[in-house]
Amino acid sequence: MKRSELLGRVCGAVAVGAALSLLLGGAGSSATDIKLATATSAKRAPPSKHLPGYSTDRNAYFGDLHVHTKLSFDAYIFNVRASPDDAYHYAKGEPLGHAGGFDVRLPTPLDFTAVTDHSEYIGALQHVGDPKDPLHSLPIAQGLFSKDPKDIQKAFNTLVEGYEHNTLPAAFRAKPIIAEAWKEIQDAAERNNDPGRFTTFVGYEYTSAPDGRNLHRNVIFKGAKVPDAPYTALESNDPENLWRTMDGWRSHGVEALAIPHNANGSDGIMFENTKRNGQPMDKAYAELRMRNEPLTEITQTKGTSETHPSLSPNDEWANFEIMESYIGRAKPVTHFDGSYVRKALKDGILMQETKGFNPFKLGFIGSTDTHNATPGPAMEKYYYGKVGKLDATPAQRGSVPPKGAKTWEGYKPDPMTSEGRFQQWGASGIAGVWAEENSRDSIYAALRRKETFATSGPRIRVRFFAGYDFPSDLLKRPDSIAQAYAHGVPMGGDLLAAKGRTPKFLVWGLRDPQAGFLQRIQVVKGWVENGVAKERVFDVGCSDHLTLDTSTWRCPSNGATVDMTNCAPSRFKGDVELRTVWTDPTFDQRQRAFYYVRVLENPSCRWSTWDALRNGTPPAPNLQPTIMERAWSSPIWYEPKT
Amino acid sequence: MTVLSDAPDGSRIGAGGAMGRLRRAAREPLLHFIVLGALIFAGIMGVKFLQKPTVSIAAQDINQLVEYWQLQTQRAPNKQELAAIIQGRVDEELLAREAQRLGMDKDDLIIRRRLAQKMSFASEDLGDAQPSTATLRAEYDRTKARYAAPARVTLRHVFFSADRGGDAAHAAAVAALAKAQAGVDPAGDPSLLPLTYADADPEALARDYGPDFAKTATTAPLDHWIGPVQSPFGYHLIRVEGRAQQITPPFEDVQDQVRENYLAEQRQAKNEAFLRKLRQQYRVNVAGVSP
Repeated sequence: MKRSELLGRVCGAVAVGAALSLLLGGAGSSATDIKLATATSAKRAPPSKHLPGYSTDRNAYFGDLHVHTKLSFDAYIFNVRASPDDAYHYAKGEPLGHAGGFDVRLPTPLDFTAVTDHSEYIGALQHVGDPKDPLHSLPIAQGLFSKDPKDIQKAFNTLVEGYEHNTLPAAFRAKPIIAEAWKEIQDAAERNNDPGRFTTFVGYEYTSAPDGRNLHRNVIFKGAKVPDAPYTALESNDPENLWRTMDGWRSHGVEALAIPHNANGSDGIMFENTKRNGQPMDKAYAELRMRNEPLTEITQTKGTSETHPSLSPNDEWANFEIMESYIGRAKPVTHFDGSYVRKALKDGILMQETKGFNPFKLGFIGSTDTHNATPGPAMEKYYYGKVGKLDATPAQRGSVPPKGAKTWEGYKPDPMTSEGRFQQWGASGIAGVWAEENSRDSIYAALRRKETFATSGPRIRVRFFAGYDFPSDLLKRPDSIAQAYAHGVPMGGDLLAAKGRTPKFLVWGLRDPQAGFLQRIQVVKGWVENGVAKERVFDVGCSDHLTLDTSTWRCPSNGATVDMTNCAPSRFKGDVELRTVWTDPTFDQRQRAFYYVRVLENPSCRWSTWDALRNGTPPAPNLQPTIMERAWSSPIWYEPKT
Repeated sequence: MTVLSDAPDGSRIGAGGAMGRLRRAAREPLLHFIVLGALIFAGIMGVKFLQKPTVSIAAQDINQLVEYWQLQTQRAPNKQELAAIIQGRVDEELLAREAQRLGMDKDDLIIRRRLAQKMSFASEDLGDAQPSTATLRAEYDRTKARYAAPARVTLRHVFFSADRGGDAAHAAAVAALAKAQAGVDPAGDPSLLPLTYADADPEALARDYGPDFAKTATTAPLDHWIGPVQSPFGYHLIRVEGRAQQITPPFEDVQDQVRENYLAEQRQAKNEAFLRKLRQQYRVNVAGVSP
C-alpha cells in the first residue's frame, strides 16, 4: 500500500515534470507539431516475423473501443478512481475494485482495447477533487464530490450544464492538466500493448452534443504517434472540423479514425442528410467523412442503433435494446430518422445513386462505453451497471422493486427518473475484427477495411463474403475461407457488377462456447428501386434442421424458451453454427444495394431478469424479460455499372 | 473553611475583638499556604494566558507549498494567492493541533492506519544497500520458474460439428481416426476457428475449446492423431506437431525484475521480523480470546 503510494507519487512527479518539459518544449512550435512517443516496449517482436497465431484466413479478435476511466469528468464524478492502466489490466482478466464497493472481473479476457476518455476537461476532476489542489477551492468544486448518488447526479448535471454553456473555469482545461492526462493515456497504452496477446490503441472521445443531441465520436490512433493534445468539442462541436483536423494530422503521419456512437441519442442529427452547418452535402464532404469515419458503433450499453421498430416495421427483431432518450438526460428522442444506422445506409446508397457520393458507407463495431474503467463487461448475467456509484445496485437500475418491496404492485415506470433511464440500458457492445494477428497494425488495418462485426455481448463469430465464382463445394471444403477470399470480397467490401451474373453470399455464424446456441442467421438487404431506398430481412439459415420457407424467407420457430424460475434455456435447441451459401432471389443487377448479416441466439434472460432472480422478486413488468443476443457483420455494398 | 472557629485558644475570643482575631489569623501558617497557592495558580494562569502556544510555519514549509502550487498551475502565486496558501496551512495546523489537544486522534481508524503504514514502511527500510550480482543470481536460481514464458503449442485439428445431430459427429470422428491411423489424412467439417495453430497459448485454447482440448494439446504425443476430443462445438481429432515448453529467460535478461523481486522479499522479511519482535514486547488482550 505504502510503496505503491510512494511509487504513485514518484510517477506523478515524473508525469508533471514531463508535462512541464512538454509545455516548455512545445512553446515555440506550431499547433500541428507532432510528438513522437519514444517509449518502446521490450516485449515487441521483430517486425519481419509473424506473431504467434498469424493466419492468412484471418482470426476473430474481440475488443472494446469505448472505455472511460477516472480521467473522464463524468466517471470521476461517479466515484470511479481506476486509471487507464487499471482498465487495460481488467481487459486482460485481472480483477478490479468497482466504485460500488465490490470487485469485478472479466471471465473471458479481451484481445484488444482502447481507453477513450472524454477529451473535454480531461483529467481535470482529479485535481478539482483533491483538497490540496488550488482548483479545489473554486466555488464550483463545492458539492461535486459526494458519495451519495443523488448528489452525484446533481454534480453530473452541474458539469454537463457548465460544459454546454461554457461556464466551467478555464483552469479546468489548462494545458498542463491536459498534457498530464494525455501522457498517462499514451503511457498506459504503450505499457500494456503486448503484440500477439493483447493490443492497445491510444484514443479519446470527442464529446460534441449541440443542444444535447449526441454527436459523440471515439478517435482511435493507429500507433504511438499522436498529436500533442486531443482536438475537442470545445474547439468546435461540428464533426466536420474534427475530420479536417484529422486530415491535418494524417499529413503529418498521424493516422487515426473516428467512430460515431449513440446515433440513437442524436434526435435525428447523427445521420442527417445535410452538413451540420445546414449546407447541402457534396462529394468532397462525403470523401472527407468516409476518409475519417469508416465505422460506426452500432450497439453499446446506452442502446442499440441498428434500426428502430418505426423505421423497420417488417423486421420482427428490430425492437432490441431500444433507448428513446437523449444521452445523459431525461429528454425523449422524437426524430428516429437520422438516428439509426440501417436508415443511414439506405440514405447513403440513395445519395450515391442520385448525387454520386455516399457519406454513410459504414462498417459496424460494438463497444460498451463503460465508465467504470472496465472494458468488455457486456454480459447479462453479470451486469453491474455503467456509471460507477450511480447504477451499482439493482435498485438503482430499476430491476428490482423500489424500497425493498417484494412485488411491483403500484409501480409506475417513469423514464424521467434515473432508475427509469438505467432500466433502458443494455448489457451490450463488443467489437469484433477479422485480422491476421493480434497487433496494432493488423487490427487497425481490419478497422480501416471494415472487416469488422459487432455483438451484443457474446463472442459470436460471424463471416460474410460475396462473389461470383465460389467453388460449388465451398461449404464442405476445409479451406473454405481461403476460397472465399480468393473468389470474393469480405464484409466491409464492395462487390462490383459482373455482366449477366448473380452473386453468391457465404454466410456463417459460430456460437460463443460460453453463451447460448444460435437460432437463425439472416441477411438484411437495402436497395434502391425507382428512386426509393427499401429494406428487407431474409432468414437464410435455420437451426435444428428446420426448413426455411422461401416464400416468406422465415425459419419456423425452433420453440426455444427460457425457464423463468432459473433463467435456464431450453435444452437441445439451437445450433453450434449456422452456415450457408445464399443467392438473393430479388437480385437485380441494375439496383444499387447493401447486404449485412445478423445472427440471432435463442432467447436468454436480460440482465434485469437476472438481477430480479437473484433478488427473489419478479422481473420489472415494463421490461422485456428475455432478449435474443445477436451479432451483426459489416455490410457488403453491391455497386452496379453506371 | 473552619479556620476561625477551630482557633486553638478559644478563651481569648471574647476579649480580643475583631482586629485581634484578624491579626491572629494572619499569622496562621495554613492561611499562608492557601494564599500562596492561589497566587501561584493565578501566576501560572497569567503566564499561560500571556504565552499562547505557538504555531510556526518554517520558510522551508512555505517553499514546499509554493512549489507544489506551481507544479499544479505552472506559474508563481501572486501576493493574495501566497497569503491564501499560507493561511490555509496555518488553519490546517490549528485545526489539527486543537483536534490533538482534544484527543481526537485517539481511536481514529484513518489516523491509526496511517501511523501503522508509516511504521510498517519504516520497518522495511533497507537503506541504500544494493544486493550483489551473486546474491541476485542465487535468487534467480531459486525462483526462475516465475520468469518463464508460457508454453506454446503447434497443432492441427479436424472438426466434426455437433450440428450433424445425435451421435453422428462422434461416429464420424471415430471413423476418421481409424483412417488417420491407417495413414489417410482425415477430413472433417470446415470451421470458423482456425484448423491449424502455430505457437498457440494453451490457456487461449482452453477458453475456446474447453479443458479437454487444451489438455490434449499440452500432453498428447507429437505427430499422432488423437481423439475424439469433445468441445462446445463438437468433436475434434488433434495432431500436435510441436510444443515449446516454458522458456526460462537467462539471468541477464531479467536481472532488473530479479532485483525488484529480491528487494520486495527483503522488505517483507524485515517487516515480518519487526512485527514478530513487537508481538513479544506487547501483551495483547482480545475480547473473548484467552491469551
